[in-house]
Amino acid sequence: MELLIEIIQDIFFSAIAAIGFASISNTPFSAMKYCAFLAAIGHSLRFVMMESMEVHIIVAAAIAAFVIGVVAIPLAPKAKCPPETFSYPALLPMIPGMYAYRAVQGLVMCLSSSGEEAFMHYFYLMNYNGLTCIIVVAGMVIGVTMPIFVFKRIAFSATQNVTND
Amino acid sequence: MDDGEIHDYLKSTCLFLSKYASALLGCGATCIRIEKNIGRIADTFGVHVDMTLLPAHVIVVVWDCDHTHSYNCSAKPIGGMTDFCRNIELSKLSWRIVEKNLSCDEAAIELDRILSLPQLNKWIVLLLTSAANASFCRLFGGDFKAVGIVFCATLLGFFLKQIMIEDKIDLRITTIASAFLASVVGASGYLFGISNTPELALGTSVLFLIPGIPYINAGSDLFTNHYLCAVSRFIQAVILTICLTLGLCGGMFLMQMKFF
Repeated sequence: MELLIEIIQDIFFSAIAAIGFASISNTPFSAMKYCAFLAAIGHSLRFVMMESMEVHIIVAAAIAAFVIGVVAIPLAPKAKCPPETFSYPALLPMIPGMYAYRAVQGLVMCLSSSGEEAFMHYFYLMNYNGLTCIIVVAGMVIGVTMPIFVFKRIAFSATQNVTND
Repeated sequence: MDDGEIHDYLKSTCLFLSKYASALLGCGATCIRIEKNIGRIADTFGVHVDMTLLPAHVIVVVWDCDHTHSYNCSAKPIGGMTDFCRNIELSKLSWRIVEKNLSCDEAAIELDRILSLPQLNKWIVLLLTSAANASFCRLFGGDFKAVGIVFCATLLGFFLKQIMIEDKIDLRITTIASAFLASVVGASGYLFGISNTPELALGTSVLFLIPGIPYINAGSDLFTNHYLCAVSRFIQAVILTICLTLGLCGGMFLMQMKFF
């Protein structure tokens, strides 16, 4: 029961996060509901994999991004938008931002540390966080773009038959 | 058509295509989409196109069907911030050109209309972004007091970013200043003992500044063999992440916080 409540919370807050971050990139309001839907699916799936199945963040993020990419393809003609315009913002709640800036913080601490032991500790933190961030982002990008290239015809003709009349 | 007419036709087509491609590049479209859209329009206009996509320029060479005449020009990206609304409208325009057989002049008018479309209301974006970052804090396990702190920190930090961007201040300086302000406000959980998860409030208060779309676009360009644009977008994203961290470290230093 507790897990179910946590999943519902995850769905709700990741949808809000996707809508907010999509607005920064001037995503039209008509596409935001798809951002929210995809983010809710992807983030909650990653949450379940990491919390209940103890899957590593790299694998979990890649699988979740792949699911987002696959679901975005049939939605694109419906939304009359290229799939990346709502699947990329839906990925934003899963971008490992904390790892990214902790890597840079590690670098700052490396440079300001005195002694080999402290330096090596912060060097380790920089590398660990930096590598995790890069590999998570790479896995997510592979996951979300693979369906776009597999279903090229649908992905690149989603805005077909759309007129301003 | 005589040579003069062919030249005029190639010139107007090339100018339109270079402007169209630079608009797509400037709004953060992936290189593969720019190639697809340009190819589609070129087929309709009955010309061949060779295009070079560089991080700061687009070079377009337009040939007639017989490959006997050509015209080329380069253009700088129009815009510079990710704009999915413009991306969608430009993609729709490419299909309208095909379906309605629009002439180059008609397409150019449409392009200008798209480039003048308004952005989302800045106050709505400010509220949505603040709510998004506050939700992020909750997703990381922050309590509701921490969520409130992150909402306020984002509200102030993002408002500062909007003001500085309107004043055309460099994006890197803007990011440092926004991160600094957001982290100082985000540290209030520690300072006043408001929340049980003050470290999450501080950690997530600057996440709205992470350049997520450039990171994803860099990966996408990498897989479609556009290495120059991929590396350029990745470096741009890394520089903004470094600026964000500098602002955060400055804020933490001011508030006498430990980094790890």
